Amino acid sequence: MYRKTVSAPFVFNIKNRMRWAGLLFLLAPLVIFVRLFYLQTFMHEEFSSKAERAIYNYLAEDRVRGKILDVNGRPLAESVRTHSCGISKRYVKNKDKVVDFLAKTLDMPKKRILEKWDHAKNFFFVAKKIKPDKYIEIMEFLRTPDGQGMELTPEYERIHPYGESALDVIGAANSKNLGLSGIEQMFNRELSQDISKKRVKRARRGQIIYDRKLKENVSVANIYLTLDEIVQYYAETALKKAVESVGAEKGIALVQEPSTGKILAAASYPITDGQSLAFQFTYEPGSTFKTIGISAALDAGTVSITDSIPMEGRKWEVAKGVIVRDNQHDKAYLTIPEIMQLSSNIGAGKIAVELGPKNLFYYIKAFGFGSKTDINFNGESKGSVAPYTTWTKVDTASKGYGYGVAITPIQLIGAYSAIANGGVLMQPHLIDRIEYSNGKIEKKSKPVKIRRVLREETAYTMKKVLQSVVENGSGKHAQIKGYNVAGKTGTAEKLSKEGGYGKRSHVVSFCGFAPVSDPKFTILIILDNPSKYTFGGTAAAPVFKEIASPLLALKGIPPDQLDF
Amino acid sequence: MRIFGLLFLLCLFSFGIVWMRIEINRSGRAIGQLQNEVEVKEARNQYMELEISRLSSPENISRLSHEKLGMVEQEPHRVVLLKDK
Repeated sequence: MYRKTVSAPFVFNIKNRMRWAGLLFLLAPLVIFVRLFYLQTFMHEEFSSKAERAIYNYLAEDRVRGKILDVNGRPLAESVRTHSCGISKRYVKNKDKVVDFLAKTLDMPKKRILEKWDHAKNFFFVAKKIKPDKYIEIMEFLRTPDGQGMELTPEYERIHPYGESALDVIGAANSKNLGLSGIEQMFNRELSQDISKKRVKRARRGQIIYDRKLKENVSVANIYLTLDEIVQYYAETALKKAVESVGAEKGIALVQEPSTGKILAAASYPITDGQSLAFQFTYEPGSTFKTIGISAALDAGTVSITDSIPMEGRKWEVAKGVIVRDNQHDKAYLTIPEIMQLSSNIGAGKIAVELGPKNLFYYIKAFGFGSKTDINFNGESKGSVAPYTTWTKVDTASKGYGYGVAITPIQLIGAYSAIANGGVLMQPHLIDRIEYSNGKIEKKSKPVKIRRVLREETAYTMKKVLQSVVENGSGKHAQIKGYNVAGKTGTAEKLSKEGGYGKRSHVVSFCGFAPVSDPKFTILIILDNPSKYTFGGTAAAPVFKEIASPLLALKGIPPDQLDF
Repeated sequence: MRIFGLLFLLCLFSFGIVWMRIEINRSGRAIGQLQNEVEVKEARNQYMELEISRLSSPENISRLSHEKLGMVEQEPHRVVLLKDK
């Protein structure tokens, strides 16, 4: 026997209606859930890469390259924010309006924009380095429906407010924040830090949506040079005038503070980005080098200031067949000051031979010749001084009057500053300090004594000898009224291509300091290969005066002559 | 009934989250625009500062003092420095 079960009849009451309605309501989310599950699990990669492209953008971190400033904080190189304007053709709704607007705003011919349009597949840059005023106009247009498809990308432009001034030292940096030459390259790490890329969210028309993570404290440094823009200006102006007046191939003007070794001006002409001749140029100095040999002999005691040197009838046969001549005087004997005043090769050569190659070599090296300075400027040369063991008597004599050695301007000015300083060679400085944005200051120009090269008495005697050169000798065009000036001229013939020294090609120079009682500036002027035959005394010495006079006035240095 | 009540709350909560995200994005966009404007103004300011530097360069001042004011550079021995008392 079995019992027939009878199911209860379905009653369409409120409770059941609610159940069905609930099921129906749940069905829709269920379908969505299943679909989402499918998309998330199986289509994940395709959609996430689509979203990545549509929403996010990769931007280089917005870091402004640090500034390069002079010692007083005048900006020599600074980065400013500019923008590039580009067009994504596929998003442009009204081509004519966009082209018209850009041609008018950017002062560009419509034809040029249309040419770019035709050549591009989709995206192309219309203009770069757009200044803020134009940027605002473009930005406003970009926010209107007609502006769709236009894009503005930030970039940086390196600006030199003082034009070409000191550009040979500063060097160049590109729009990608990379230093290419000069200080820009030497201190690229400090000026730019490492620039990484960041993921940012972007709105439909390309604007970046603010994200607090984007604001990050970055530590980019400003580099303060020891250069003083006013001194640099005077050096550059005087140098340019001198180079042009004698038709020289190139020229160099260096100004140093002898007591600290700071380089106050380093001018080259013609100017090339990051190619500072003050550190890279090598040459045979000629008579400006007599100062080294004579001060060495005085210091070593092989001659005394009261000695008279016989002139051998102004024809001295150093070795068989090698004759040194003095045509600028007719004296039988010359004193040490006279040798310097008249720039006698016989006198300087004889003194060098008397001193001997070993001693001369020691003093030349002690003055810093033949080695790089710690400035370490890109491409700095160390010059060339052959070991004394290879020198013949002729080599020793010729080094006494500045031939047979290759030196750089920074080495020579350092040597003259050592004499001005009382015999102490100072470390030259080009960087005064580095200031980081976090407030840290790294001082780089603390005066550093490298070594004592001359005894104080020798340095004092040499100062007086050099002063006599300006007062009574070849350097009188460097004399400044009211001030005692010391210095030495140089006119060196250059090695010709055919071999030997040619009269056609020469280097003229003057190196000196003022005021002698308490030297504030050492100045070196070099004019390479003047087209007219000139001398250091007539072409380079006046440039010294032209640079030193305004500096003495500007720095308020009182005259040290009692009677003028 | 309780389930529906919970579902309703869940929906409300989800709406709240979505609304918040939209608001964050909207504010982010507004801040982004303001930030842009600040940057443009800063850039404009920087250009003006650079213009001041350019105009106050030794070269410019020297030229203007010669041309417009007829000034000449004085020899250093003629310069007398007055000391502050």
